[in-house]
Amino acid sequence: MKMKHLKVSLIFLIFLASQTVHSWKKDEFRNCNQTPFCKRARSRKPGACTLIAHDVSISDGDLTAKLIPRAPHDQDQIKPLTLSLSAYQDGIMRLKIDEDPSLDPSKKRFQVPDVVIPEFETKKLWLQSASTEKINGDDGSLSSVVYLSDGYEAVLRHDPFEVYVRDKAGKRRVISLNSHGLFDFEQLRVKKGDEDWEERFRGHTDTRPYGPQSISFDVSFYGSDFVYGIPEHATSFALKPTRGPGVEESEPYRLFNLDVFEYVHDSPFGIYGSIPFMVSHGKSGKSSGFFWLNAAEMQIDVLANGWDAEDGILMPTKQGRIDTFWMSEAGIVDTFFFVGLGPKDVVKQYMSVTGLPAMPQLFATAYHQCRWNYRDEEDVENVDSKFDEHDIPYDVLWLDIDHTDGRRYFTWDKLLFPHPDEMQRKLAAKGRHMVTIVDPHIKRDNSFHLHKDATRRGYYVKDATGKDYDGWCWPGSSSYPDMLNPEIRSWWGEKFSYENYIGSTPSLYIWNDMNEPSVFNGPEVTMPRDALHLGGVEHRELHNAYGYYFHMATADGLVKRGDGEDRPFVLSRAFFAGSQRHGAVWTGDNSADWDHLRVSVPMILTLGLTGMSFSGADVGGYFGNPEPELLVRWYQLGAYYPFFRGHAHQDTRRREPWLFGERNRELMRDAIRVRYTLLPYFYTLFREANVSGVPVLRPLWMEFPFDEAAFSNDEAFMLGNSLLVQGVYSERAKHAFVYLPAKESWYDLRTGTAYTGGEIHKLEVSEESIPAFQRAGTIVPRKDRFRRSSTQMVLDPYTLVIALNNSQAAEGELYIDDGKSFDFMHGAYIHRRFVFSNGQLTSLNMASSSLGRSRFSSDCIVERIILLGYTPGPKSALVEPGNRKAEIELGPLRLGGRGGAAVTIRKPGVRVAEDWTIKIL
Amino acid sequence: MKLTLSFTFLSLAIFSFIIPSHVSSSSLPSVSFVGIPPQDEDYFKDEVIKCKNGSKKFTKTQLNDDFCDCPDGTDEPGTSACPQGKFYCRNAGHSSSLLFSSRVNDGICDCCDGSDEYDGKVKCPNTCWEAGKAAREKLKKKIEMYHEGVALRKQEIEQAKQAIARDKAELLGLKNEKEVLEKVVKQLEEQIQKLKQRELLEKEDKIKEASNEKIENEKSGPEENVDGQIEPLKISDVEKMGLSGESPSDQSEKDENESTEGLSREELGRLIASRWTGKKTGDQVEEIDPAKSDHMGNRDKEESAYESSYDEHIDNNALQFNEKTQKHQEKGRKDARDAEDEESVAEDREKSSGSSSSEVVGKRIICMVLLISYINCFLFDFLISSDIATLSHQSWLVKIQETAQNFLQSVNLFSAPVANLDANQVRKEYDNYTAKLSDIELRISSLTEKFKYDFGREKEFYLFYDRCFESKQDKYVYKVCPFKDAIQEEGSSETRLGNWEKFGNSYRMMMFSNGDGCWNGPDRSLKVKLRCGLQTELTGVDEPSRCEYVALMYAPALCLEEKLKELKQKLESMNREQSWSHDEL
Repeated sequence: MKMKHLKVSLIFLIFLASQTVHSWKKDEFRNCNQTPFCKRARSRKPGACTLIAHDVSISDGDLTAKLIPRAPHDQDQIKPLTLSLSAYQDGIMRLKIDEDPSLDPSKKRFQVPDVVIPEFETKKLWLQSASTEKINGDDGSLSSVVYLSDGYEAVLRHDPFEVYVRDKAGKRRVISLNSHGLFDFEQLRVKKGDEDWEERFRGHTDTRPYGPQSISFDVSFYGSDFVYGIPEHATSFALKPTRGPGVEESEPYRLFNLDVFEYVHDSPFGIYGSIPFMVSHGKSGKSSGFFWLNAAEMQIDVLANGWDAEDGILMPTKQGRIDTFWMSEAGIVDTFFFVGLGPKDVVKQYMSVTGLPAMPQLFATAYHQCRWNYRDEEDVENVDSKFDEHDIPYDVLWLDIDHTDGRRYFTWDKLLFPHPDEMQRKLAAKGRHMVTIVDPHIKRDNSFHLHKDATRRGYYVKDATGKDYDGWCWPGSSSYPDMLNPEIRSWWGEKFSYENYIGSTPSLYIWNDMNEPSVFNGPEVTMPRDALHLGGVEHRELHNAYGYYFHMATADGLVKRGDGEDRPFVLSRAFFAGSQRHGAVWTGDNSADWDHLRVSVPMILTLGLTGMSFSGADVGGYFGNPEPELLVRWYQLGAYYPFFRGHAHQDTRRREPWLFGERNRELMRDAIRVRYTLLPYFYTLFREANVSGVPVLRPLWMEFPFDEAAFSNDEAFMLGNSLLVQGVYSERAKHAFVYLPAKESWYDLRTGTAYTGGEIHKLEVSEESIPAFQRAGTIVPRKDRFRRSSTQMVLDPYTLVIALNNSQAAEGELYIDDGKSFDFMHGAYIHRRFVFSNGQLTSLNMASSSLGRSRFSSDCIVERIILLGYTPGPKSALVEPGNRKAEIELGPLRLGGRGGAAVTIRKPGVRVAEDWTIKIL
Repeated sequence: MKLTLSFTFLSLAIFSFIIPSHVSSSSLPSVSFVGIPPQDEDYFKDEVIKCKNGSKKFTKTQLNDDFCDCPDGTDEPGTSACPQGKFYCRNAGHSSSLLFSSRVNDGICDCCDGSDEYDGKVKCPNTCWEAGKAAREKLKKKIEMYHEGVALRKQEIEQAKQAIARDKAELLGLKNEKEVLEKVVKQLEEQIQKLKQRELLEKEDKIKEASNEKIENEKSGPEENVDGQIEPLKISDVEKMGLSGESPSDQSEKDENESTEGLSREELGRLIASRWTGKKTGDQVEEIDPAKSDHMGNRDKEESAYESSYDEHIDNNALQFNEKTQKHQEKGRKDARDAEDEESVAEDREKSSGSSSSEVVGKRIICMVLLISYINCFLFDFLISSDIATLSHQSWLVKIQETAQNFLQSVNLFSAPVANLDANQVRKEYDNYTAKLSDIELRISSLTEKFKYDFGREKEFYLFYDRCFESKQDKYVYKVCPFKDAIQEEGSSETRLGNWEKFGNSYRMMMFSNGDGCWNGPDRSLKVKLRCGLQTELTGVDEPSRCEYVALMYAPALCLEEKLKELKQKLESMNREQSWSHDEL
């Protein structure tokens, strides 16, 4: 009997072990202790930096200096570093520190090209002079001060070396670097005798021919209570401290683009993309930002209050401060300090460096249907027709890797997809689009033209010995084009032309997956760090930007394909600073569980804050089978993601919205329809992002910077400035606690019920919807007619929903263009501002009066105006011009569904393109 | 009737002139009937009209004024204004249809008469005439097929009835036999008891001899034990576990770590890839390679030869590696399952050995040997095959009873002493009859089991019992055995897609579930959709979701008379519509 028991428990253990085989493999990825540069840096003590600024002067409009060791005898070992500090318009300081090229270092350290946009250089301010001063409390040490903007100045303290930005008036610091003396710069040098530079990890050897070359330093944010940003991690929006008192053993936030199988929902480990940009925010309502342009592996510690207490370094403690510690394996110091003031200003400043988000086509902002894999043309046709059968709108059908001939991208499986162009034309006839996957791994197959071509031209990334790097990915043995090289990017882009991509049509767009790059047999499932790119650049130096260049090449290829007249759509999994210029990203292979639903919000908030406005998570969860309730909740939340796509792994059950019974089908259809009614609002927000960088989906504190209760809230988010949405993140939830910020009213989107701001509301939730509110004082444009796809909605009339504030006023905007071409860049768009006050709604033109060479017009009318917070009574309104009367009645807030009623102006019939007023009589 | 119809036709035409300007403030009541089915027109006659769900009222000017007033869309049958609205297309020459309001004036022609696109943005050709003609032809063919199918179905039901009667009769007969045999066996048992008692009284040395013999028998016993083969296996399992000093979880984790280091680069690539593919690497090879070979024809032969040898080389490596890890992992799972089922497994084995067909053959052989006995084997054969109807049954029973009786009498139970020969005879007979009894019991239980199934409303699926249907698709053969299981065969390997579960969708679907498990996925399952056809055949097996199979099967059993009537009515109404529209034209 005992024996049997033992056996059973042993078997149980085996069973458990075999279960865990599928989950995240922590030990396949290096932690900080297994990463020598990180371990070394983390063990440094505050004040360890002995560098001082020397030869400080103004040259070529920059403040320049040499960093040399304080003690003269160290100067033999440590060569001086060059420092240059520049000022740019709008309160941006750039600090560069590198090895002195005139001292002939053994290798030029890598500077990430093609990320900073060319326009940025035009914003440079030519510094004329620096003043020198002794700053109180600095032990009489000298500092050089230069102009940064009207309100701010940049300070370089000489000994010890420190750089910071302060406001002119109060001399308060905003951001500083090396205030704790943690700065370290490992200079390239000659190998000493028997020194072993190789690094080994799980059977992989990194030859590290150039030896240690890491950089680390501390950055402090003043007047701040929280820091945010530095995606991509599946964790909270406000970054939790990773070191210091009260922090359990934690890894730093890692920035290293990796294809992590079944990533966990709360971890500082790096996943698919990296943006080394951090934003701070505090009670004062002010934000500031810091960006390190460096594409090597980076590790960032957020230090808990009091982390340096023992070391007795005195820092100004009056204001709240957050210290952070940045470490990178290679590259140079090329950093940007953004002074703010407001959160939106910081984002704008960041994007004046890395570029504004691309304006998507209208269809791309609608619903996408994806699965690994829609198997053949018949399958595609069936899925497509089922959407119609159930009157569920969708815009894009996606094909994953198995549509290709043996995973050779740009080809089609001849048995499963014999008529790809006809298939696309059928979809296009319904106004729908298709997306196919094109990954960077190219099958090493001599009969594959792409491989032959790339090999012949020598366009592949090389291994450490100089041969074409051969890794393993979906097609088996594969090689990877060297996307660092603009010539190769251009060659790649050509592959998307209709002549080269046989079977592609104008309604076909592209999905870039696996571009971290993912290499199944590589160290940490990626490319070896000693692989070689153009000009002897090691992969370690640009790893985090590989996917960015690939994304860029693909997007540029699509622009070229459309003769520069068709906006590209490319979804990428890997990303880097600047990826917002090239298209959308998503949060990769998530799982069908409630935790992943929950973490999708902080992840997308973080992406938006760091420029990636067009982002989303796989609705339903990629791995595993969601219960219908979870799937419904995910659709309800996903409908508000900037990028809205259902996707699933091949092992999962089919989960198209009609497969879970009538009720669930209705709920999912309703959720998708919410998205479609809000498309005019979304599109307007995408344009706002395209112009100002302010993300579509925003943290509450971006709209309410003084509302402390909102600072760490990452279960709710703002969609533009008008809507607040909170997901339902648990099973069978009866209630949700929703914090509504500020002292304004909020109107429930479904019922129209008003809630007061500045408090947490316990709300009943039904299966029908998740909590969503319109902020008082805003106007949201909608289209309340449902079509097969967004394409057929173009001519449909608008509904305006006006949520009145206490003074019975509201404002909102509407942006419209052709939804497809680049003509909007030349003035072909409609941009209206709607203002409601004194019982009168006015439509004003916002488009610049000096319109460019093209124009856009629309015959669309407004069919309905809904007034929330308006006391019923008036029976009609006067429409001018035309001196027409429109009836006022009590109408439904939402057509066809259950919900509240509101004062409605019936058929005002005004054209959206024109100026008009509607006065309530 | 004809008048109103042509009236709507006219109003449609007028409407299409008026609507294009979105600002059309008021529309004539006469033009507002677009999108309304003829039988519904009366509903909209009054000046004030109720929304059909009773929630609101609207005036006639609000009918089709391109603004949604009723939550249920009553007021906008002819526009896209209400999401709940339904648009009626008359489709003269074809059959009428109802569209979602989302299709009205969306630039896509949905109705064959083009009536859903009246705002002038697109011109929709009227294709009803051709479409109607084709549809009618198709329907006619279908009706013909159904005619035949219904007849076939009737025949099948008749056959099923007979089969049921036969099986029932057999069951009844068998039950009677069982009763008789039980009596006989009981009597023989009593005899043996008596013989035993008598034997007890025999000499001591004889007893000793007997006991010696018994010991020898016991010694040789285990070898004959059916479980003999299983026992050592179990022991070795336990030993293996005991021997590995570390806990199994440690071991597997260690294997994971170590194994990736020892792997070739290709192997490692395949291993990592297999996480996403949810298959072990061997599977992946299979999946990619056939696709490759399918396309081979198009390629340069030299190149493909190069490729295949190249692939073969790495595939071999991968396969070896693969088998290792797969075994390792599967073992864990298998063991877990074994533990769960440890006791039931043993039971199962007994059960299965009892019912296997080889056993029946075995019995027949024994039976042959026993030819010398009083009852001939053909009797047994007859009982088993049971092809003959009930008529003669009674007489055979009588015969058994008689022979048994004769035998018992001939042994003369009450005369003593009994010769050794007689005692052996009695035992032999006892064995003989118990064997027969158990055969009969077996047959009874299998018949009773059969009757438990649901064979459809008219038992039309009775003849599916014990039948299997096959379909070949690429490299796979699918074998569907109703009331039993469904299998996917690939060469010599078999994958169970599911065991019989039930009929679904009112006998229009056969469901098989709990098939072989899928790695990282659900247990396999199969749904067989049933459709009317003149031949019973399985076609189109598909796997829309991983490991969830769907197949289509045609059978006369699905050719329902009601459906035939329905089809005929549909044809009639189509013909009617056609003649109307013909008149109008």
